[in-house]
Amino acid sequence: MSSTRSFSIKSLLARHETVLVLVILLEVLLFQTLGKNFLVGKNLSNVFRHSVEIGLLAVAMTPVILTGGIDLSVGSMMGLCAVLFGMMVNRFGLPPYLAGLVAVLFGALGGGMNAVLITRLNLPPLIVTLGTFSLFRGLAEALTKGAESYSGFPKSFLALGNADLAGLPAQIWVFFAVAAAIWLMVHQTTLGRSFRAIGYASEGARYAGIPVARNTSLAYIIAGAVAGLAAVILVARLGEARANAGIGYELLAITAVVLGGVSIFGGSGTVAGTLLGWIALAILNNGLTRISDYRIMDQPVASVARELSGLLTGLLLLAALAIGATMKALAIRRARKQSLSKTTPNPAIS
Amino acid sequence: MSKYFRELTVAAALGLLMASLAIFAPHFFQWQPFISRLTSQMPALAAAIGIALVIISRQIDISIGSQFGMCAIIAGVTAASGLPLGVAIFAAIGAGAAMGALNGVLVAYLGLPSIVVTLATMVTWQEALRLWQQGRLLNLPAGIQWFGLSQPTGQAIVISLAFVLLVGAAWGMKNLAAGRFIHATGTDAEAARLAGIDPRHTTFAVFVLMGGLAGLAAVLNLVQSPQVQPNCGDGLELKAIAAAVVGGVAISGGRGTLWGVLLGMLLLANVNPALTHFHQPPYWEKAIQGLVILLAVVADGIRSRKTKI
Repeated sequence: MSSTRSFSIKSLLARHETVLVLVILLEVLLFQTLGKNFLVGKNLSNVFRHSVEIGLLAVAMTPVILTGGIDLSVGSMMGLCAVLFGMMVNRFGLPPYLAGLVAVLFGALGGGMNAVLITRLNLPPLIVTLGTFSLFRGLAEALTKGAESYSGFPKSFLALGNADLAGLPAQIWVFFAVAAAIWLMVHQTTLGRSFRAIGYASEGARYAGIPVARNTSLAYIIAGAVAGLAAVILVARLGEARANAGIGYELLAITAVVLGGVSIFGGSGTVAGTLLGWIALAILNNGLTRISDYRIMDQPVASVARELSGLLTGLLLLAALAIGATMKALAIRRARKQSLSKTTPNPAIS
Repeated sequence: MSKYFRELTVAAALGLLMASLAIFAPHFFQWQPFISRLTSQMPALAAAIGIALVIISRQIDISIGSQFGMCAIIAGVTAASGLPLGVAIFAAIGAGAAMGALNGVLVAYLGLPSIVVTLATMVTWQEALRLWQQGRLLNLPAGIQWFGLSQPTGQAIVISLAFVLLVGAAWGMKNLAAGRFIHATGTDAEAARLAGIDPRHTTFAVFVLMGGLAGLAAVLNLVQSPQVQPNCGDGLELKAIAAAVVGGVAISGGRGTLWGVLLGMLLLANVNPALTHFHQPPYWEKAIQGLVILLAVVADGIRSRKTKI
């Protein structure tokens, strides 16, 4: 009796990405009907211009979560790299692109610190990156004495955050390059397969001869480096480097990854899923700011768009988690039933 | 001795900090400011006791800052509408327990990882609160501050409430079946199950208790000022987790004492006042706290490595 139902659930599970595409289309339809100037070229390019940083963090977070880990420190790392970048350009007169390179390398160094603590000392990623979350943000605040900020960057550098290149926001091209590189790494190399193997069963991966500590470290180092890059792009967009750059971004990045169907237990998920999760969030964020005719809590939707999109993001994440867990429980129950009926010839048991 | 090595180390560090303050900055110990500082740390202590139980049962809850803010505003709104203080306190603790129950259902009965569940509920409550209050400062009726009593009496009540809670919870974790259930679930959930303890019910109960304690912490905070801000709980989760980890609660579950949590709390909470009294810039606080957390986990890592070999 359950064969048709289980088939539809199975195919739904197999196509997490299809569901996300439908969600995105639904969002577009909704905001186009309710809002003003949503599907307009300029607004669409804004959608992506304003969320490239979170997209970068989300794409780089994917390998980390695939290995069964988590990195809570990337938002704080952005703050620290932004401050260092600002100091290098503003105080020491380094050319912005050299300073940007140093910021990326510094991000990799911070990721390396996470990696050493996690893989060499066998400490849980959650608590290590919670510690560095506090440490990196604290260093950024200490370096700026809690108040200083750096601005006055050259125009040629600010173009990275505000100009268009070949009809698209300039920073989108950087994002494309990083996303393509990480997609290649995760889906086309043995390294990428090893991430999933480690997340699925790290002890099993070790017995299979995978250098678990080295490969896991690489995931954290890349996450740190990409956080440094995201910091540079954020500074280019805002024209200002402050210690509070990227506060809360780690949560948005993790939300995009989990929404994209990457298992938080590690072992399964795709970069394409993460990208779709990120697009769904970015459209939600922007679309709400386009709705001015409807009111909520006596306020036009557009003026409370930030809070509302945050609330909806949280609820969406909860729903995605609950649905995912229920599906998994159903699948396990079904698999158990099947294996029971196959292996036990005694009909009384099955 | 070695069983309580961590607690003793933290006690020594705290003692050292206090001793150097006594020598180089004796005005740190002036009675009234000292008591005020201690009182202001009590809400975080209540939250840290809750988070210690959560971590001992091998879970985590990063939504407590949002829960705290939500409970504070619920209590504030209840009191401002003219209802008696008792009702406001009850509403705060009840709302906290309900929010904890949601976390508990998702973690214990659906088997979802607590870090992601509480991440989602953290964002949800925080933004719901922002939407509701729009960042307004909520003025509290006159009878709320210090429970409508004088400041010294109020401070005495807040401090003694927190310590009664601490002593009661520490005793319960050692001597009550429920306390042993929490330790057993955190040490090995499967072994606990085979021993007849349902780890799911235990985990659920711990999250409900955590929510209730977040509500109580919000009340202890509420009575200390004439106004309440919607963002009053920001960063509380980190403070509480840091206090527990520094105080020797193992993040891998099963181990930790609430006395250690108290010591960790006092050590971290006094970083900032100590910086001020040593005439050092206060903006190093977060970096030092992060460093202390990392030192604590690294010490754990090295020790567990040694014992393995």
